[in-house]
Amino acid sequence: MPRRSFEDVVVPHLDAAFNYARWLTRNDADAEDVVRDAVARAFRFFSSVRTNNARSWLFTIVRRTWYSRLGEPGNRIPSTEYDELTDRRSDEVLRMDELLMRREQAERVRRAVEQLPMDFREVIVLRELEGLSYKEIATVVDIPIDTVISRLSRARERLIPVLVTVGATGDHK
Amino acid sequence: MTCHEAIRALDAYIDDELSAQEAMPVRAHVRSCVYCFQRAQDREALRRALRTLPYYGAPTRLGITIAARGTVRSVLPKARGWAIAATVAIAAGGGLGVRVWTRMHVTSVVAEQVMARHVNALATQHLVDVRSSDQHTVKPWFQGKLDFAPPVYDLADAGFPLIGGRVDRIGGRTFAALVYQRRLHVITTFVSDAEDPIPEDLVETIRGFHERHWTDHGMCFWVVSDLNAEELAEFASLIRSKAI
Repeated sequence: MPRRSFEDVVVPHLDAAFNYARWLTRNDADAEDVVRDAVARAFRFFSSVRTNNARSWLFTIVRRTWYSRLGEPGNRIPSTEYDELTDRRSDEVLRMDELLMRREQAERVRRAVEQLPMDFREVIVLRELEGLSYKEIATVVDIPIDTVISRLSRARERLIPVLVTVGATGDHK
Repeated sequence: MTCHEAIRALDAYIDDELSAQEAMPVRAHVRSCVYCFQRAQDREALRRALRTLPYYGAPTRLGITIAARGTVRSVLPKARGWAIAATVAIAAGGGLGVRVWTRMHVTSVVAEQVMARHVNALATQHLVDVRSSDQHTVKPWFQGKLDFAPPVYDLADAGFPLIGGRVDRIGGRTFAALVYQRRLHVITTFVSDAEDPIPEDLVETIRGFHERHWTDHGMCFWVVSDLNAEELAEFASLIRSKAI
């Protein structure tokens, strides 16, 4: 990889880094702090890193920065309660397309994503908002690809019912 | 392919992560099974719904902060000397130079963070949580809020009256922020006992704000103001002399 400056490599991905941090932290102030710290960290390692995927690399650092902050006393957030998760798959045949246009649905979806456990939230954000491949997500989150798939799948299973509840009028239930 | 197998492969199928060979049986199943067809439809609907999620772009000030790091404006002459040495060292392929150069950039990030907090407090009119010109009121206010006792001085006689104090988080570290005043200029003194990533003294000017940094008695200090550099230096040396 030809040597490029830190600014050339990192600044183009600042929005993506902030978006990811914002979804992890769920508030602007923490997201800003996390991105600032992450950029400082990124800088420290920059000279020793050879990567052609700067965005994923930055995501990885943002993520570690956030998790190391969670490790600080008083900041701990419970992680996903995997074992309690059950697959609730709806077999109902539902017509949802027309409902998706509704604004309250958008707000509901946003809240539902915010309320997902962090492990699920981040794979949804990385996949659906940032368009990362499974392999890239696996690298950023540092989990096997199979785990990426199962987290995505479970996250989606949790979100899909949100789509139907809003407009579930008489013809569905 | 059974429903069970199809469900396991469904996300990768929807996400286009399967090879053509792997995707073929899934596609065939989804087309022939009304339940799995619906599951696929649900996922498509979810994907469309997720497109309405807000994408949080970086705030402008964050962009400026990081872009501005490219230029370290005014560091101490000693550090500048190092910068020249660093350039030479890089040219010579030395490792030390890179390290020094890196530290200067990190320094600049911290300096920016400190300044941003000062500016933010001014902008949001949230300057102090304890408002008093009496050091004996301000200092005890920090009890129980910090695990160190920040030095608070009455500098009114020297022309720097105390306004008050607050607690701030900067870059994951907790600071006591003490606010003083000269004429209409607000001066924030940030004090922390956290490990200081920047061992050397520092004088910096960022977009019209002057900053000075030093370490004393295991505490690190940052003073920030739009006051002119000479008077801020006078203020800093007052604080330093009181600490001895």
